[in-house]
Amino acid sequence: MATVKIRIDGQQVEAEEGSFLLPAIQEMGVEIPTLCYYKYATPYAACRMCVVEIWDKRKKNKVVTACNYPIAEGLEVLTHSPRVVAARRTNLEMLMSRCAPMPVLQEMGKKLGIEEPRWGWGTDTCILCGLCVRVCDEIVGARALGFASRGADRYVTTAFDGEADSCILCGACASICPTEHIQLEEADGRKIIHDEVTLGPNSAISVPFRQAVPNVPRIDPEYCIHFRTGGCTVCSQVCPKDCIHYDEQEKTEEIEVGTIVLATGFQDLDPEILKPYGYGKIPNVITAMEFERMNNAAGSTGGKIQLQNGAEPRSIAILHCIGSRDERHHPYCSRVCCMYGLKFAHLVKEKTEAEVYQLYIDLRAFGKGYEEFYQRILSEGVNVIRGKGTEVVRAGRGRAEEGDLLVRCEDTLAGVFREIPVDMVILCTALEAHSDAKETGRKFGVSIGADGWFIERHPKLGPVSTATDGVFLAGVCQGPKDIPDTVAQGGAAAAEAMSLMIRGEVEMDAACAVIDEEKCCGCRLCNDLCAYSAITFDEEKEVSVVNEALCKACGTCVAGCPSGSIKGLHFTDPQIYAEIEGILS
Amino acid sequence: MNRISDPKALASYREKLKAAQDPNKTMIHFCAGTGCIACGCEEVADAFKKRIADMGLESSVTLKLTGCPGFCERGPLATVYPQGIFYEKIGVSDVDLILEKTVKHGQVVEKLLYKDPTTGKKIVEEEEIPFYKKQMRLLLGSNGLMDPTCLDDYILLGGYEGMAKALSGMQPEEIVQSVITSGLRGRGGGGFPTGWKWDSCRKAEGKPKYVICNADEGDPGAFMDRAILEGNPHSVIEGMVIGAFAIGSNEGFVYVRHEYPLAVKNLNIALKQARQVGLLGKDILGTGFDFDIEVSRGGGAFVCGESTALMASLEGKIGEPRPKYVHTTDYGLWDKPSNLNNVESWANIPLIIKGGADWYASIGTENSKGTKVFALSGKISNTGLVEVPMGITLREILYDIGGGIPGNKKFKAVQTGGPSGGTLVVETEDEMVHRSMVRSGDVQVDETVKSLLDLPVDFDELTKAGSMMGSGGMIVMDQDSCMVDVAKYFIHFLIEESCGKCLPCREGLRMLHDILERITNGEGREGDVELLQEVSNTLIDTSLCQLGGSAPNPVLSTIRYFRDEYDAHVRDKRCPAGVCNALVGYAINENCIGDGQCVKACPSDAISGDPKGLYRIDQSKCIQCDACYQVCQFDSIVRVGRDEANDVQRRAKERWVPVKERPREKVGV
Repeated sequence: MATVKIRIDGQQVEAEEGSFLLPAIQEMGVEIPTLCYYKYATPYAACRMCVVEIWDKRKKNKVVTACNYPIAEGLEVLTHSPRVVAARRTNLEMLMSRCAPMPVLQEMGKKLGIEEPRWGWGTDTCILCGLCVRVCDEIVGARALGFASRGADRYVTTAFDGEADSCILCGACASICPTEHIQLEEADGRKIIHDEVTLGPNSAISVPFRQAVPNVPRIDPEYCIHFRTGGCTVCSQVCPKDCIHYDEQEKTEEIEVGTIVLATGFQDLDPEILKPYGYGKIPNVITAMEFERMNNAAGSTGGKIQLQNGAEPRSIAILHCIGSRDERHHPYCSRVCCMYGLKFAHLVKEKTEAEVYQLYIDLRAFGKGYEEFYQRILSEGVNVIRGKGTEVVRAGRGRAEEGDLLVRCEDTLAGVFREIPVDMVILCTALEAHSDAKETGRKFGVSIGADGWFIERHPKLGPVSTATDGVFLAGVCQGPKDIPDTVAQGGAAAAEAMSLMIRGEVEMDAACAVIDEEKCCGCRLCNDLCAYSAITFDEEKEVSVVNEALCKACGTCVAGCPSGSIKGLHFTDPQIYAEIEGILS
Repeated sequence: MNRISDPKALASYREKLKAAQDPNKTMIHFCAGTGCIACGCEEVADAFKKRIADMGLESSVTLKLTGCPGFCERGPLATVYPQGIFYEKIGVSDVDLILEKTVKHGQVVEKLLYKDPTTGKKIVEEEEIPFYKKQMRLLLGSNGLMDPTCLDDYILLGGYEGMAKALSGMQPEEIVQSVITSGLRGRGGGGFPTGWKWDSCRKAEGKPKYVICNADEGDPGAFMDRAILEGNPHSVIEGMVIGAFAIGSNEGFVYVRHEYPLAVKNLNIALKQARQVGLLGKDILGTGFDFDIEVSRGGGAFVCGESTALMASLEGKIGEPRPKYVHTTDYGLWDKPSNLNNVESWANIPLIIKGGADWYASIGTENSKGTKVFALSGKISNTGLVEVPMGITLREILYDIGGGIPGNKKFKAVQTGGPSGGTLVVETEDEMVHRSMVRSGDVQVDETVKSLLDLPVDFDELTKAGSMMGSGGMIVMDQDSCMVDVAKYFIHFLIEESCGKCLPCREGLRMLHDILERITNGEGREGDVELLQEVSNTLIDTSLCQLGGSAPNPVLSTIRYFRDEYDAHVRDKRCPAGVCNALVGYAINENCIGDGQCVKACPSDAISGDPKGLYRIDQSKCIQCDACYQVCQFDSIVRVGRDEANDVQRRAKERWVPVKERPREKVGV
């Protein structure tokens, strides 16, 4: 559309013909109050706060709403003429007399010079701006909300005032509501503060965490309204760089490489299988990872340590060795829990007034400066009790005063059985190998130990190498370790990979297996037999091929080939017969 | 009936019908409009049918059930042709009399004739009755002459002639130009020139285009659209076909209230008939033009009479208006160019095409052409529908046609244009009114104002006087009407009907009502009237649609003319008209003759006294129900301020003399 010239408050500006007046006014930096305007929904023009006085091309004077008045050549606009300011004031005052004193009205009132409405405040918390209805209708596409009744009795509701079947629980209505009239509630009436399972951000589009790589927002299709209803697309309208593409899908790319560093990490033990701790059933029993999210300034509570009901905990128990050093689960020590447990205690002490209990089997403060940190925690007044926490239960009526939960343990130093009342329990769960580690190992020709961790070639002589040349290990996938150890190992793995890459070529043993393409019947038995993943199948020629750089000349494939098409160079049948003959002669 | 293949066939068919008519055959045109149905005409009609059969008169008399001829006050009505004898207030027992005397012997039944209240003379013919004499019944005239469910009747009266002329002999531009030249302005209330609207819709880009008939008549006291749709639905259909042809539309809608069952029924019959003979649907009259009409029924929301709300409702959405910064002629129904006119406007179209734009433009005033139908109601002798040329004075409508105020009461005001209109004062010589007008700046202190009774009624004059034409309701009020109460009534109506979408209308009306309620309850505070004005101005400036924008009219116009009445409520806690319960006390004065009628009427045993003595109202028991005031024939019950009642009664006691001792002339009624 064409660009036209209009005058706003005496100032000449250019604007697009047919576009609405309000954005043009706002762009000039002129503030105009609005209650029902939302940039990404069709203007509704119901609150009438954005009224301005205009003179059109024919010099006809009228009062119009800026949010939906189409711009035309020769328009003259006054945004703060006495006439519209008076109208805004009276309208707002009338709305105030319907509604309870709410921040959005009070603030706007202050700007327009109304402290108290002449007719007194009302009680309604809904200002009938219709934002929720329009967002649910136009943007979400769920059409779960609407207006009922007429005139002064009008109110926002669901169909037949009942539970809306079409509601997709996206929460858009609650987040757009300027007065918090709409609240998200669980069916039993409990207020949701954070999602106690993931404790992650529940916005559908977010940067996963501060140091994420790449450090860009991503859309969670499970929560994204667009992926659920096909509507919304507000984020793509907001993005000035046109970066959001909904049709972009995950894809697999093949990259040819010479070396590989495996750093697949670990997974947290799911504490739900440890029934005595009540995780997932008893509120405020959380894992260490969840506590870490909560404590994070970018987390769901903005770094505030709080209970599910929003209150600050009075006491917290940190239970070590949940699933570690436990014959029923993992016999090994997870190595990191002792120190992060102590760190948690320090953080809790720093941020809250809460009492902290550490329940441990053995405290392993083995690293540099670790023992000193332990001493500092002790001096901060943390209760460190030797004895594994065995059970968490809801506190009965008798002890609910002191804490909602009871943690049971045997204090092995004092030789007594203890029940400690606390408000929150943090479980230091075991680090365990990924459930799919076996598959990954097979793919890269790396063996798996009894605990599920990848096995290095030699504990002392080859701590980052594997049985497969060019594949290296770094981090917890090789076994539990803390951050300094992981960094050191990562450095070593990188150096090993570099030393191969910098040469640009690989020294090979002259002895290796060779497949006679003429004879190979393409049965692929050898592919699975090779312990070093050196044999692959050539789809085009329909024969198996040996990667000579990987082949260790072990001869397994030579012995296993049913068609006898594989030869071990330097160890061919005629050569061996000749050798036997030589010895015998 | 066969399909009428072309315009010529229509004309010859009309000739055939005319030839078949026997001019000497007795016809009884009996009104079966809603007003007469309320008066019990259905029973009478049944009696007519039965008795005609019983007496073996089927061959010599035809009974025709017609639409509303407008004189609802006197229903049920019948006119006997060829003599044209007009009978009023016919009961079941009168049927035999009419059949026996008039039909069989050609005599007039004196007792059923209309009696002129001023001269006392009986009038035989319809046209001679003062109610009809000054009217110009271009639209309503046919109502009494035809059976609305009979297409032949309409064709016989020249129906579809205009359509045939437009479709076969005129270009669309020519039709639009005719309507522009005729000066027809929208009869729905706004008064926008119809021709210009058609022109912009015709020129608008976008297909398809729609034509819509607004039959969502919601104003209290207005029923002219109803009478036209019920009594002459074909005229609306004809108008819409012509409009659609001119605009270039092939699809039309009639949005009619569900509360008008007879209108819906007759309209659907008419549509079916028109489709059958090729006057509607595909290839109309063989001209190749396709157009059909669908009937959509509204749920009875006043706001759905607003064009954008009506369209939203037609689309199946909530009937809420949207801003009209972009006109509906460009983006209307389903965002397509749409032309909306109301029933009366559409019914005018065939007349303009048939009679010519110049003929039409010769009727009325400079800027308001043609006739307008008004619905007279309230405190007026002849309630009913009247159709008058634009520019006629209020005095002619109210006194000559309406017959003035019944019961020797004083005229006070007339409300035009329904709840969105304003109250026009008529009694400008009234001292209080004069004071109010001085305060509102309308006149100077020493200036005498012209009585608004002589105001020529047209779009612009009414607007200038602080009211509007609206759809044409006229509610007449006499001295017993309290203007604050009237304003409150209309605001209450609008609160119930406001859709609640925009803030000023939703909250402002509630605020206005609260303040008016307070004033009528005697709790008015100093500054309340100014507050009413402030809120009203905000409503006018910032409401989304005209329902809110014109809602304060009743308040502002009553303040303009009756400011003193407001002040009496607020300052003196007194209701001059004696309507507001909380401000009225009842007292018995020295006129009392002791007949005891009031005692019988009183529901709360508040009145006591001896027969033939002076009665007295116990103020602690009186509930201000007004029952005694209504029954007393001696003006001895008076409505005074609450605290004045006892004083009046004390004075009465001093002055009272027994009836026997009074001079004769002072006793009479």
